[in-house]
Amino acid sequence: MYQYDDYDRRIIVERAQQFRGQVARRLTGEITEEEFKPLRLQNGLYMQLHAYMLRVAIPYGLLSSTQVRKLAHIARTYDRGYGHLTTRQNIQYNWPKLTDVPAILDELASVEMHAVQTSGNCVRNITADHFAGIARDELEDPRPYCEILRQWSTFHPEFAHLPRKFKIAMTGAPGNDRAAVRFHDIGVRIVENAQGERGFEVLVGGGMGRTPLIGEVIREFLPKPHLLSYIESILRVYNLHGRRDNKYKARIKILVSALGIDEFRRRVDEDWEASRTPALELPDAEVARVSAFFAPPPYQVLPADDQVGVIQLGRDRVLGNWVSNNVDAHKVPGYSAVVISVKQPGIPPGDVSDTQLDAIADIADRYSFGHVVVTHTQNLVLPDVRTSELPRLHAELRALDLGEANANKITDVITCPGLDYCDLANARSIPLSLEIAARFDRVDYLNDVGDVSIKISGCINACGHHHVGNIGILGIDKRGEEFYQLMLGGSPGNDASIGKILGRALAQDEIVDAVEKVLDRYLEIRESPDERFLDAVRRVGFDPFKVAVYGSADPLDAGGD
Amino acid sequence: MQIIRDRAIVDDDFVHVPDGAELPEAGKPIVTLAHYARARETLLARYPTVGVRVPSDKLPTDIPELARVALVAIEFPKFTDGRGYTVGRMLRERHAFRGELRAVGWVLRDQLRYLERCGFNAFELKPGKPLESALEAFDELAGTYQAAVDDPRPIYRRR
Amino acid sequence: MTGNFTEDGAVAWRRADGTWARQIAEAGLFVDEPTAKAAATRAAAQEQREICDPYGIEVHAEGGAIDPLTARQRIRANGPTIRLRRPDGER
Ligand code: SF4
Repeated sequence: MYQYDDYDRRIIVERAQQFRGQVARRLTGEITEEEFKPLRLQNGLYMQLHAYMLRVAIPYGLLSSTQVRKLAHIARTYDRGYGHLTTRQNIQYNWPKLTDVPAILDELASVEMHAVQTSGNCVRNITADHFAGIARDELEDPRPYCEILRQWSTFHPEFAHLPRKFKIAMTGAPGNDRAAVRFHDIGVRIVENAQGERGFEVLVGGGMGRTPLIGEVIREFLPKPHLLSYIESILRVYNLHGRRDNKYKARIKILVSALGIDEFRRRVDEDWEASRTPALELPDAEVARVSAFFAPPPYQVLPADDQVGVIQLGRDRVLGNWVSNNVDAHKVPGYSAVVISVKQPGIPPGDVSDTQLDAIADIADRYSFGHVVVTHTQNLVLPDVRTSELPRLHAELRALDLGEANANKITDVITCPGLDYCDLANARSIPLSLEIAARFDRVDYLNDVGDVSIKISGCINACGHHHVGNIGILGIDKRGEEFYQLMLGGSPGNDASIGKILGRALAQDEIVDAVEKVLDRYLEIRESPDERFLDAVRRVGFDPFKVAVYGSADPLDAGGD
Repeated sequence: MQIIRDRAIVDDDFVHVPDGAELPEAGKPIVTLAHYARARETLLARYPTVGVRVPSDKLPTDIPELARVALVAIEFPKFTDGRGYTVGRMLRERHAFRGELRAVGWVLRDQLRYLERCGFNAFELKPGKPLESALEAFDELAGTYQAAVDDPRPIYRRR
Repeated sequence: MTGNFTEDGAVAWRRADGTWARQIAEAGLFVDEPTAKAAATRAAAQEQREICDPYGIEVHAEGGAIDPLTARQRIRANGPTIRLRRPDGER
């Protein structure tokens, strides 16, 4: 993975020093909370319901074991023994004291990490395919470009006060988008043109939140050297013309849809022609320098059939189930990608304890060349595990309560912090996911229902990505009490779609029942066990599910808010 | 009034003239863009040095005869309104503006470094904010990655 | 009246004497709106250093127990409704 040189290190150390001064000025009263807020936000520090929350950037989700140990240490020393993995491949701490945050930033800097721009109206952490570098369906590893973008976006002087936050995601597997690039302010796909050259397809204006939109292609093929200058022009047009009068209309997607993609593209091209200079072009040497950090680890040459003993799998049903649900194909023969489920019954999705983090670091060292990846589904990936070692690894993970075999299944719920922590929430989301995990904790049912994503957000900001859940749940506020809307049919990937509301909002004690009714109805109506939930919903429409949940497909009975 | 200019605290030798207010006998007025657009010939004939105060929603192309203006003051109505950063860069990089580029309005020390990188060389801090300690801000975050007005080379041409 | 302590972000409740407590049980009550509004304005102006963004909320008070009217404020008063691994924050 990328390693800081003196230059990178200096920038992060200077930032920690600067924040120490800003905190001191806040504590003496030299600056007010109103003035401090944008400063702390640029350092990932929020005020939540019960405490501050510090969000630490994990660029494109990649961590070394040393960094994982540091995250464990921070959880233990400055927080309450756990961290929370987010849908943007970051980790957040829920209980830091303001007076401790400068020390935490110093600790992070010591392992080449930071909390820079994990909040605020600036370019946020760049996210990527969690199987980057190892996927069989990948054209090219996107991480070198993500790192180049990370550096470019860090303290960009022109774009620190955009109309609203700005999220960029990238994938190198154009045929299988695992990074939801169509739902980002800018999505980048590495593609090949008719001449066989590699470049970028650039999408703009996707997003969730109050107005979910699928990003549109602004440039079909951008030659690689122009990556930064072109993205800079997109940001410049947005910075000048994005709405600043209404925060719900301030994201770039609103500007793009107001102008239309053609006019938006024209403005970007105009700016690009006026601003690009040869100096801005990305030299091959820089791409090569950064790419070298992402060179494949020293894999052993293994026969393709160096597999888990068939006999062992056949005998051990729990192991077999875990392998089939949580282990993915790897581009190198004899290796596998392992998804560590951070969705254990009784524990908030994505919460990992300090002891688990320490143990994961050791496991990564022993099984996966010391690397761990955070996924946007709030799980972890060990990217490079020898397939023959899966049984041993599984046993170790189980001993840590990290051996759940539920990747992409209904209990692999994506959940935002919701009203248990979040200042903006309308309703709680974690208790719902716990209830779902408890209700469907049956291996046969899980496997029978198959791949279904359930995504829960506690408010319209959609941190839980409910719009793109096959089943989405959105918390709303009705006269100070918690209610939930149920949505069906969303998908974040290549077949991107936005879920639609099924009917009237449901109370807290109704919502999980409703999910079960929807799933049971799916089992009844699917054409074959091969027809996925999402495909069945797309085929039959909403009526059968309305009947299941509300007793009638009549819009009056099913209501609508 | 004191301002920061070229990283030093100095007495302001310009005077702001709000719309409708009386022009000074002599000296260096900073007039609103609307005033300048309306009466620039008279103004430029009367004063050797004229500054223009530009609202945050205007672009460099909205300033007629930019080359004859000695100072452009960009308004920051809110700490979080970041349009001026882009406008500053455009003035310096695309319109070769060499005069004083001043940030006015809700300007705090924590913006100074970024503003400077975007081409600003003068700063009127929000009333009540200390100037002395604000000077320290220029030395914070000395390391940079991007091409900007202070250095047209991105990091990969400097490393 | 409530807010969060600047130093550690903990939920703060204003006592009747104008100091700030960590438990809602200690909170002072206002029974008429004008006094509540006046106190809120004062606190917002004076206590920004110690307390972030103080504001007033509506509660139901009976027999010494104070119960906020909204789910949000109930959770602020009582903490997350889910099990915490180390709820006390002990190191
Ligand atoms: S979706 Fe809403 S409730 Fe959930 S974390 Fe985001 S802002 Fe908070």
